[in-house]
Amino acid sequence: MTVAWIGNRETLLERAVRHAAALLHASRCPVFTFDTDIHGTRAAIALAERVGASYDHADGAGLARETALLTDKGGMFVAPGEVRRRADLIAIVGELPEAHREFVAELAETVPDLIAINARQFFLVGGGGRGLTLGNGRKATRLSCGKAGLGGTIAALRAQCAGRQVSTPVSNFSRFQAALATARFPVFLFFGQSADGLALEMLQGLLADINRKSRASALHLPASEGGWGSTLASTWMTGFPLRTSFARGFPEFDPWRFDVARQLAAGEADFHLWISDGVKKPSANSGDTKVVVLAKTSQPVAGAEVTFAIGKAGVDHDAVVYSARTGTLNSVTADAASELPSAASILRSIAEHIPAGAELPC
Amino acid sequence: MLTRIKSGEIVDPVNGRLGKGDLWIRDGEIVETPRSGRADRTFDASGCVVMAGAIDIHSHIGGGNVNTARLLLPEEHKAHQARPAATPLSNAGWSTFETGCLYAKMGFTTVVEPAMSPNAALHTHLELADIPIIDKATLAILGNDDFLLSMIRDNASPRMIEDYVAWTVASTRALGVKVINAGAAAAFKENVRTFSLDDVVPSYGVSSRKIVKTLQAAVDRLGIPHPLHVHCNNLGAPGSADTAAATIAAAEGVPLHLAHLQFYGYGTEGKRKFSSAAARLAELVNASPEVTIDIGQVMFGQTVTISSDVMRQFSARGTAHPKKFVIHDGDGNGGGIVPYRYRPDYYGTVQWAAGLELFLLITDPWRVFFTTDHPNGAPFTVYPKLFEFLMNRDARNEVASTLSKSALAHSTLASIDREYTMEEIAIMTRAAPAKLLGLADRGHLGAGAVADVSVYRKGKDIAKMLGRAALVFKNGDLVVKDGEITHYRWGRALRLNPPPDRAIVKRLRDYHEHRYGLSLDRFTFPDSAIQRDEPFREVPCRA
Ligand SMILES: [Zn+2]
Repeated sequence: MTVAWIGNRETLLERAVRHAAALLHASRCPVFTFDTDIHGTRAAIALAERVGASYDHADGAGLARETALLTDKGGMFVAPGEVRRRADLIAIVGELPEAHREFVAELAETVPDLIAINARQFFLVGGGGRGLTLGNGRKATRLSCGKAGLGGTIAALRAQCAGRQVSTPVSNFSRFQAALATARFPVFLFFGQSADGLALEMLQGLLADINRKSRASALHLPASEGGWGSTLASTWMTGFPLRTSFARGFPEFDPWRFDVARQLAAGEADFHLWISDGVKKPSANSGDTKVVVLAKTSQPVAGAEVTFAIGKAGVDHDAVVYSARTGTLNSVTADAASELPSAASILRSIAEHIPAGAELPC
Repeated sequence: MLTRIKSGEIVDPVNGRLGKGDLWIRDGEIVETPRSGRADRTFDASGCVVMAGAIDIHSHIGGGNVNTARLLLPEEHKAHQARPAATPLSNAGWSTFETGCLYAKMGFTTVVEPAMSPNAALHTHLELADIPIIDKATLAILGNDDFLLSMIRDNASPRMIEDYVAWTVASTRALGVKVINAGAAAAFKENVRTFSLDDVVPSYGVSSRKIVKTLQAAVDRLGIPHPLHVHCNNLGAPGSADTAAATIAAAEGVPLHLAHLQFYGYGTEGKRKFSSAAARLAELVNASPEVTIDIGQVMFGQTVTISSDVMRQFSARGTAHPKKFVIHDGDGNGGGIVPYRYRPDYYGTVQWAAGLELFLLITDPWRVFFTTDHPNGAPFTVYPKLFEFLMNRDARNEVASTLSKSALAHSTLASIDREYTMEEIAIMTRAAPAKLLGLADRGHLGAGAVADVSVYRKGKDIAKMLGRAALVFKNGDLVVKDGEITHYRWGRALRLNPPPDRAIVKRLRDYHEHRYGLSLDRFTFPDSAIQRDEPFREVPCRA
């Protein structure tokens, strides 16, 4: 089985590792993009530290909005298990991403068992032009506000809940108000790919208002489960979330400067390490940037100096991943174990070929 | 390899060794003086104090809530130093790597993370595994979880409850059990805003006292060495000394550990109805031999409070400095993160003084433990200064003279002359924690102990002396020289492993599938998930 290519030519893994390490070592401004499990992330960050790279996730934009909510404001959040068992009012904030439809369907098919009210009502806040049909044919009640964006809609909702006048009232507001008045534990589901910073901040404002007298919370369903796991690992390893750089020898977090997609587009980076065991492929090689790819592939990736074939975490090899369904890190056993190397093992091999005074931290 | 630490002043209260002498280490273990008398390497410890590695029984060093706090406060822990060649990431502010290095530099070799949410055990252990050098351990949180509350409500047999506690401890790889504001997090989900020892959780009809007593009995009967670790109700509130007193009385002869007692050392005297009641609590602790406590000392400055007492954190959200916070309704306790600045004003003075009074008025150093409830009272990096306050009354009196006179008027601090001796420090930070946690292999320098050894160069400046160890050995490996880390090594998480009862596992499987729609396997993990060699070490339960 071939697992390494230099250009279009098959090669030994060891040679490819040396070549990738040499390119990385010679680079002036390396950047990493990854989509991998916890151990892949740990290895990528250890390598980034060694070579002074900045790093981001392949779904960086949505994750960055979710991260910014935490780094700038904080808020009130709830575990998914509590939502299933306690929430009698579910409000979906913005368009429901495909990845989270299954959980919403599950919520529609079950009722809370920890509170006296054994029923759930569903609302959709904003959510573009389309309504939302839940798994069992039920529909979520639309709460929209003319042409206002999601942030504006939540702002209007908040104002109306507080009894203030608004120029354009939210549709179906009285239904929402009545539901909220009797709900024991309303939960708002939010997603970084559907809601911008203003919307997320407004949502937390609404929650702060509700919690003065009663209870409510928000469930974070991340833009990428792998990405949120990587955010957590980056945070404990460096103190900072993704979009952190080691260019100056210590970790610096800057969600604008170290947006790796931006760095690449602006021509700042001369080396791009792309790590993804999923379906995403690196965007076209821009100019002189050298690209090394770790991907689940059976052939070399076009334009890559070096390609490594890796297994998918949790499929080809055991993994630790963030699960939106449990709200924490879970261990996953490989369900089709294969000989394909893990991203972590390749990254560690590359790091071991970079001259340094110490052993790797992980 | 045979190592000789020569001519140090040995302070080993457990083995009654006090005075000048040599200490011998073979590989990772302390040994008797070998007959040959020839060492492979010798370290001159003349002019130094030689003690076992220190043990911190309560410090929030890793897990979901700690990580959320890091995420909430990127501006508070910026790194500035350049990359250290030998110890990657140790310059990253508040990283797991920095945590291990800072502890080791002070001669601490074992630290307990006291608040692990059972469902997030894997996350917690992954963080702990990235803390270099030191050994770690965790306490699993129970007492706000639906499974336990339902069993108590339904009058489940003590045996069944013990099986559940044992399964939780084993599957989460914990060293003990903690209960945090028992019942309050569950009540908060039902919109209850204050909760005391005899208040009842709605929907369950179970009082906080009943939860504490149930868990205390289960922990005791299972032979878990560490007594139930209790975070009482009403933390931080004026008059909370009454709650602490009632909880001490509720121990009823069975071992019970009260966490960060300082945060309950408050009466309601004075114009502001907030005063130190530490002297009263110290007297109660002195009279209750089954009770142990740690302090949770407050020191002035910026910190962040990280607590699984979600009700308390919610009510404190208005005090956030800077103005941001996280409140999390979790599967059991959840938690809250509220950044806070302790100011040397009236309230801060009461808290600072109450902690020191408890330290100095509780007479038995085997029953009082050295903590700041890191980072809740202060980050653990203040330890050297805190040692100085305990060992030098002039140092604390000098600070007291700059603080609120009206706050100190209700405190006994000024009247206390006591200064801790080095032997008492060795008991409080080495011998007693090892005993409390059931770790027979450490906390002392007798033959057969793990070679965790701290050597401090004696000097007038206590903070300097205890803040930067001259030498630290972890498992016989020299990891600190002249206050600097020489290299990384990887410690273990110390854990109990009581065998699971088949019936309770089946019940838990059914419960998770029916109530959560999830397999129980989602919440368990193999040791290999940590991806380090031997991430755990088993500690036996009492026979
Ligand atoms: Zn604590």
